Amino acid sequence: MQPSPQRRSVLKALVLAYPLVSGTLLLSPAQARLRKLPLAVLDAGEAADLEAVIEALVPGSAGAGAVHFIDYQLARPAADSLLMLRYLGVPQPHADFYRGGLAALAQHSIDRYGKRPAALPDPALEQLIADLIADDTPVWAGPPASFLYFVWRSDGVDVTYGTEDGMVALGMPYMAHIRPQQVW
Amino acid sequence: MVTVRDKVDLLVVGSGAAGSVFAAEASAAGKQVVLLEAGPARPPGDLVSSQLWARRQKWGGAHVEEEGDHRVGHNFNAGWGTGGSTMHHYGVWPRLHENDFRTFTEYGRGLDWPFQYAELRPYYDRIQAAIGLSGDATRERWRPPGAAYPMPPVPVFGQGRLIAAGFSRLDLHTAPLPLAINTIPYRGRPACLYDGWCDAGCPIGALGNAQTVFLAEALRSGAELRNGATVTRLLTSTDGRRVEGVEYRSEDGVQQRQYADVVVLAAFTVQNARLLLASANSHHPRGLANHSGLVGRYLMTHPAVSLYGMFDAETQPGFGPTGGQLINQDGYDNKQAVKDAYGSFQWIIANAVKPNGLLGIANNRADIHGAQLKPFLQRAVNHLGVMTLVAEDIALPENRVELSSRRDAFGVPLARAVHNQSKPSAALVAHAVRQGEAVLDAAGAREQWRGPQAGMHIMGGTVMGVDPAKSVTNGYGQSHDIENLYIAGPGLFPGSGAVNPTFTIHALALRAAEHLLRNWP
Repeated sequence: MQPSPQRRSVLKALVLAYPLVSGTLLLSPAQARLRKLPLAVLDAGEAADLEAVIEALVPGSAGAGAVHFIDYQLARPAADSLLMLRYLGVPQPHADFYRGGLAALAQHSIDRYGKRPAALPDPALEQLIADLIADDTPVWAGPPASFLYFVWRSDGVDVTYGTEDGMVALGMPYMAHIRPQQVW
Repeated sequence: MVTVRDKVDLLVVGSGAAGSVFAAEASAAGKQVVLLEAGPARPPGDLVSSQLWARRQKWGGAHVEEEGDHRVGHNFNAGWGTGGSTMHHYGVWPRLHENDFRTFTEYGRGLDWPFQYAELRPYYDRIQAAIGLSGDATRERWRPPGAAYPMPPVPVFGQGRLIAAGFSRLDLHTAPLPLAINTIPYRGRPACLYDGWCDAGCPIGALGNAQTVFLAEALRSGAELRNGATVTRLLTSTDGRRVEGVEYRSEDGVQQRQYADVVVLAAFTVQNARLLLASANSHHPRGLANHSGLVGRYLMTHPAVSLYGMFDAETQPGFGPTGGQLINQDGYDNKQAVKDAYGSFQWIIANAVKPNGLLGIANNRADIHGAQLKPFLQRAVNHLGVMTLVAEDIALPENRVELSSRRDAFGVPLARAVHNQSKPSAALVAHAVRQGEAVLDAAGAREQWRGPQAGMHIMGGTVMGVDPAKSVTNGYGQSHDIENLYIAGPGLFPGSGAVNPTFTIHALALRAAEHLLRNWP
């Protein structure tokens, strides 16, 4: 049996809303990244490290705008956040979780590999991820490394495969009942 | 500054499963009813088919601290907005079994309920008719007595057929999953489309939730719903013998007082206990309704484990209800069948899954990343099969909700939920998982794996009972200490059984609401 498509509309993409003097600019996270729109929470170094790690975890997530998506959610009221982290019992503000995790990651990367994550070559970046998975992080002042791996990987999957385009890329029909009526 | 609102007959805190039934029954009886809902409105247009958007329907209020080796998973289980957690619930509605009601008497475990299944049965039947359940009672060989379902079962897709064959090869049985999901148009609500988005809320109303039935009835009968109303304290009379109303903060941050003849606390398990404890005063120094000292105690959550198999055949894992298509409860009625273990368990079979989300395809193999991820997902979206274990928890006083030393934005102490798993419960889960793995083998899964154990549903904390020294409320949820204070929801459960609780929550609430209206205090 195949579900009937007649009563559906389709969710096309994630949309972020950026305020302008003359209104609101609606962009997908990928478009926001392409336009290099400024981030609200993460600084340039944090954003670069986060993008490097998430792209290594979920290829395609950088181009899909994972960092802009995360930053946008961190900047909005907690009850409106679309981050999976809200399920996981982490106290607000979640910006502290991400920034604390990124600081610990950067320090570990420098201590062990001599560079921040964004500057690591692929083999070293893969080893850095192996460190996270195994909690092989002897000096670590942030949320548990393996938990960060889980969260960041999930964020990457959200942006890359949680949309209609992403599911189609996997060969799975999206079958939305209803598309968003308001901005993300 | 405090704004004092006009007194009403009935004040209901929370607009979810239990609160909506109370509101509907009281409004229909001519009572003036106000519901206070901490979360926002949830019109159908908000129920966007997306695992990301679905997250707004989960808890968005004050942080809940959690401790223990088997945490209740508050934020995933609790709802946020009109309709509470019914808006994201999966509509899996089995009944408790007869032996679930007397576990202490029969097995020396946990607590007995203050009544037996036969007492609750007519309320199950009436709720079933009002909401509309689909299923096939004749094929549920384990089902306690009850009326036949008013609708035929949901269709079975590829993964359901494959896994059912595995059960059959081991001489185990499956039956259509009883679901609060329309398979045909029912009482003005349409039939399901089977596109696997229950988790995000059902905007067409095919899935029975608070907004589609009881809350809608309440509002039609004149009940008033106030969103963004965060209750901070229950108020008692000067002699402490009655509850007079509540203090709450409205959306604009203004402190309000709402007085009522009767207050029903239906803010879900953890927040109910938190509010009672946080409302302590000179007459009730340990918290309201807490003469027994048991408010917060006997916190329970079902241990749940999902098993996954990759099949050669097409499985259509994105289709069908999120809750599943089939059920197995073969061993449910023997809680002592396994050495060193205790409890019942059930399998919910063939859950619809999407690529992302906490329970999504990607996260059930969290070890896969990088270049291997996309090929795995491409295979899984066509060949994955899922079955989920729901096991019984044992009511233990040391598992509890208590107040934290930290406070929320309004100065109310946060809740801390402490829950550890007992050894007999852990042994039960281990046994059941071995059975499930054998089923997937017999079903022909080419490879299989399992997800982590998690807490599914949250119960206890304000348990009902006969003895005021050993329970918080009587069998109707009426406080033993304060006669015009009712508590509603799964927090009343003295035992968890091993079935999804929403059907029982409704049946209990209907029975209690009728009791309240017959005996208006």
